[in-house]
Amino acid sequence: MSADKERLDRAIIAIRVAKELPAGSCVNLGIGIPTLVSMFVDDESVVFYHSESGVLNCGPLAEEGSEDIDLINAGGQFLQPVPGMAYFSSVDAFAMIRGGHVDVTVLGAHQVSATGDLANWMLPERGVGNIGGAMDLAAGADKVIVAMEHNDRNGNPKVVQECDFPLTGRGCVSLIVTDVAVMEPTPDGMVLREAAPGWTPEEVQGVTGARLIIPDSVAEYEV
Amino acid sequence: MTLARLDAQSVARRASAEVAPGSVVAVSGDWSTAVADLVPAEKGVWFLRAGGTLSDLPISAADAGAVLRGGNVDLSILQAAQVDSNGSFAGYHAADYPGPQGHAGLIDLAGARRVVTVLPHTDADGSPNIVNSLTLPPDGVRCVDTIITDVAVFRVADTGLILTELAPGWSAEDVRTITGAAVTSAPTLREMDFALPPGNPTSKIYADGPSAIADLPDGATVFIDGFGGPGGMAHYLLISLRDRGSRNLTIVSNTAGIARVVSFGTPPGHTAIDHSVLVENGQVAKAIASFPVSPSVSRPSEFELAYRRGEVDLELVPQGTLAERLRAGGAGIEAFYTPTGAGTLIAEGKESRVIDGREYILEHGLRADFALIRAHRADTRGNLVYRGTSRNFNAVMAPGARVTVVEVDEIVQPGELDPEAVVTPGIFVQRIVRRPDGFTGYE
Repeated sequence: MSADKERLDRAIIAIRVAKELPAGSCVNLGIGIPTLVSMFVDDESVVFYHSESGVLNCGPLAEEGSEDIDLINAGGQFLQPVPGMAYFSSVDAFAMIRGGHVDVTVLGAHQVSATGDLANWMLPERGVGNIGGAMDLAAGADKVIVAMEHNDRNGNPKVVQECDFPLTGRGCVSLIVTDVAVMEPTPDGMVLREAAPGWTPEEVQGVTGARLIIPDSVAEYEV
Repeated sequence: MTLARLDAQSVARRASAEVAPGSVVAVSGDWSTAVADLVPAEKGVWFLRAGGTLSDLPISAADAGAVLRGGNVDLSILQAAQVDSNGSFAGYHAADYPGPQGHAGLIDLAGARRVVTVLPHTDADGSPNIVNSLTLPPDGVRCVDTIITDVAVFRVADTGLILTELAPGWSAEDVRTITGAAVTSAPTLREMDFALPPGNPTSKIYADGPSAIADLPDGATVFIDGFGGPGGMAHYLLISLRDRGSRNLTIVSNTAGIARVVSFGTPPGHTAIDHSVLVENGQVAKAIASFPVSPSVSRPSEFELAYRRGEVDLELVPQGTLAERLRAGGAGIEAFYTPTGAGTLIAEGKESRVIDGREYILEHGLRADFALIRAHRADTRGNLVYRGTSRNFNAVMAPGARVTVVEVDEIVQPGELDPEAVVTPGIFVQRIVRRPDGFTGYE
């Protein structure tokens, strides 16, 4: 049964996402798996990291004992000072996002629909949630990549035909990278691009809520 | 006999008598910019000049416009080519540049709380520049309060022009004969007074937090900065507000207090100071926030608990929309269209509009009674510099509050901050408090 098949780990998801970041691009990484992506971007591609906390060209996390409360990322983690950083206010941080200056954002999600609707800010059972920068990133970044586990803790599919959780943005997701597959939402529906090693397209469909459009050739997940 | 008229320098001297200590004054045109040189530094006046300076601070055109529209300019002194009896005026460029290029800046300047025009009483061929109705295209309509010429001073009243002062040697009749509009003499008509208003501005430095917020009333809307953790949060002012006990507050902030539950930057055994100190003290009625609750369901914040008990309201706002609403409020922009949140719960009940095939929603600017912000250093005029990512919402909140109180690590003398590095010009800061030595972001 496909639900029990071996899945890729979070680091592999991050490695796969890192391949999607063009050299010289401006990238905003969300909390969770997206944060891991920066570990797998090679230095030569000179990616510029943007954080809603008000810093551009930010670098690795601070080492323990050298944390500075005035240097954090959007997830509240302490950053190391690195050459070439630029600070700015929240209004400028979001002008960069809405103004189309952020090329790629990598976000987590609760649900993504077949046509790229994103739901990632509220679990309905909680009744209250945090939007933070997610709606602005969904609306403003040139490319929205979702990096997440394919199914939630209870095994429910997170790639669905229609979202039933509150939306973050409509039709905004360009690519989904999970521990099982790489998929591309399109106006016609969800296209399966790559499957994890050992997974057949039919097995991926078995753990997916959205009806997958399966092309003649589905590549093996490229890491 | 020809009566002597005042020279441009004397007209500027008379205009300088309109300038209150500590006020913000926009100047435009040679006769007007001369005023800035006549007011000594100890008067603490801010001069906004076309071309991008606010006293000694460089300022972008966008920020200059925001300063003007945001209601921060007490007085505009504008050189005019023509003024009419309704208080409409044509700027000094109007005759030379009949197109829009001669008008752009002056139209914003006309939005100041008070508008004074300076101009020659007649033009080169002797025809009056003060008229019943403008013959030149207007830069401002019904906005002029006071007219100062090289022969007289007028107040613009609903009933028309009131002659209040005369240049030395001139009579009311002399002035009337060269004025193209009906003029009534004020009962207090007198010779021109060139004296600067007395006194110096009151200090912005407060001895401590409680005295800086002693008049923060119940029911106030309060901007409170803090991205999430300890950086950029005015912890000392938050504790001062808790101790003051103002109730029924609407707080506008990125979070509604998550530092305590996230507790990064807080040593073990301590509790982070955040909005929770107000919430648990029953002072908060409503939060307008983007990240109001704990990232972890299992560790609810004080705000989330109060929300579940139905004790507080929440208006959830995307973070970039919150930032832009704050900016707009401080910059005199009532509302704006943003794509953020279109097609989501956030759009419900809001006006939406499709522009070039994309859907946008209408969001409104935010203003507050008080802003409690945090900066690294201030000079005594209120100019601020921040540290690192702790600038975040602080710099955005400062312009939009009636009273902005800043908590800083250090207060220095004017000149000790590099004007190129000042992020928040002092016109946006009303009160300055130094954070006590050893005060931390936790209890």
